[in-house]
Amino acid sequence: MPIDAGTVEKIAALARLELQPAEEERMVRELQAILAYVEQLQAVDVGGIEPTSQVTEGKPPALRPDEERPCDVRDEALAQAPDRDGDYFRVPQVV
Amino acid sequence: MSESVKGIGATAEAIAAAVRSGNASAEEITRAFLAHADKTAGMLGTYLHRMSEEALRAARAVDAKRASGAPLGALAGVPVAIKDNICIRGVPTTCGSTILEGYRPPYDAHVIERLRAADAVLVGKTNCDEFAMGSSTENSAYHPTKNPWDLARVPGGSSGGSAAAVAAREAPIAYGSDTGGSVRQPAAFCGVYGLKPTYGAVSRYGLVAFASSLDQIGPFARTARDTALAYNAVAGPDARDMTSRAEARPIDLAALEGGMKGLTIGIPRDLLEGEGLAPEIRACFDSAAAAFASHGARLIDVSLPSAKHAIATYYLIAPAEASSNLARYDGVRYGLRAGDGDLRAMYERTRGQGFGREVRRRILLGTYALSAGYYDAYYLRAQKVRTLVRGDFLKALSGADALLLPVTPTTAFGLGEKVEDPLAMYLNDIYSIPASLAGVPALSFPAGFGAAGLPIGLQLVGHPFAEETLLRIARAYETWCDAATKAPPIATEVSA
Repeated sequence: MPIDAGTVEKIAALARLELQPAEEERMVRELQAILAYVEQLQAVDVGGIEPTSQVTEGKPPALRPDEERPCDVRDEALAQAPDRDGDYFRVPQVV
Repeated sequence: MSESVKGIGATAEAIAAAVRSGNASAEEITRAFLAHADKTAGMLGTYLHRMSEEALRAARAVDAKRASGAPLGALAGVPVAIKDNICIRGVPTTCGSTILEGYRPPYDAHVIERLRAADAVLVGKTNCDEFAMGSSTENSAYHPTKNPWDLARVPGGSSGGSAAAVAAREAPIAYGSDTGGSVRQPAAFCGVYGLKPTYGAVSRYGLVAFASSLDQIGPFARTARDTALAYNAVAGPDARDMTSRAEARPIDLAALEGGMKGLTIGIPRDLLEGEGLAPEIRACFDSAAAAFASHGARLIDVSLPSAKHAIATYYLIAPAEASSNLARYDGVRYGLRAGDGDLRAMYERTRGQGFGREVRRRILLGTYALSAGYYDAYYLRAQKVRTLVRGDFLKALSGADALLLPVTPTTAFGLGEKVEDPLAMYLNDIYSIPASLAGVPALSFPAGFGAAGLPIGLQLVGHPFAEETLLRIARAYETWCDAATKAPPIATEVSA
């Protein structure tokens, strides 16, 4: 499955990732090489094989009770904001 | 007080015993390691953030705790370095990325809580490839880390800073994270132990997520017993990570002295015959296998026929998960924000400027593999091949206590040598990725040295939650091979 500049622009937009025009050509080339390599999987017989999304054995930890607990990190968390307005994170105008 | 406990060559086990018994103070031990790191860390680029003041405060608190008569933890007074993708409250955590510059987590990771409870002394945040994506630590946005054995070579990655810190005796124990080999490969390149525990053995609460179905936190150390102590300090269930498991029980240190008798080691012949395995690593492998046999182990041939597809499988699954996990970096709540247009332009510019080239490439690859029209052909197919890889391991292990594999095809490569060719960098992970896909535990142990005097590591892969068996085998190897005890010149000459 070929990947070209148009496809890279499309997936960059989906990933909300600005690419510099100068790096786009190189990115296309590198992704082509990687996708050519992973193409080998198309030849593997996976008929009747279930996908593995995660490998977990044993029992998961018990669910904790659904109770309110204090979490006093609001000021510490808000202090990290690039743009803060009181108790809010401020973002560029949306509408 | 014995010099061996005061010096930077002391093991964690000896330090903790001396601090518990009052034969040494945590403060003087911490001062010795910090003074040594003052000389070596800058040359090596080990750390992104040192915590010397906090470390001395913590050490004094350990000494005060002992003076009060309270019992001390298993890592009492032991200096510990932490990879910069593990959150420590109030301490900068960047994951080697510009996008998290200035971020100070408002909470401790689970492993940090456990280390504090064990009375360990945290000495700094170690350098790594950005968001743990890389095999050389050259993808750090800040600076590369150098291999303590040869400053012109890479320490491996992504946990290169942690491996270099332990090899250079800046700390007897460090922690990293391993998604496809990021603890085992730098351990091999730097000549130290590196353990990737069973998936589910250690809670990832507070580990910055890369590929959640693969990520696992693991320790570096210089002896098999210290590796077990470091594992015990952090393993076990945690309600904040639903993949964590009570089956992860502490390793019994006495059991590590059990020797090789009665153990069966599987040798995956098909994987060894692949191209690219350096003759000196093959020779080290063969001699280690022969040594296991001569000390009483039974060797059997096993087969991992799907492992040859592991890299292709991994480089679809891991980027797919990464593209999802890294969606949270949007310039709204912390870290970098760039662009002042509308919201979407701000997201795109922040992420374009904040992520380095390798991370951008993997986000694009993952987004592509998950996008409409390609999901079945790439992501879903990779998950099915993953089932085959795991099946291979469980079958091979059904007749063996552990498998012996190389960790890397070569010893440490040069700085800059592979950084321009991402696929060549990925292909180095051929021996470490399969166990990650299978979710089974894998240990990189110091096995010898190559012609250029560079360390060679070998890998033991075991049954789920059988970390103890892997360390028992490595401990036996340690008693007849001194590869683990040699120090790189920088560790001895700089502070002499």
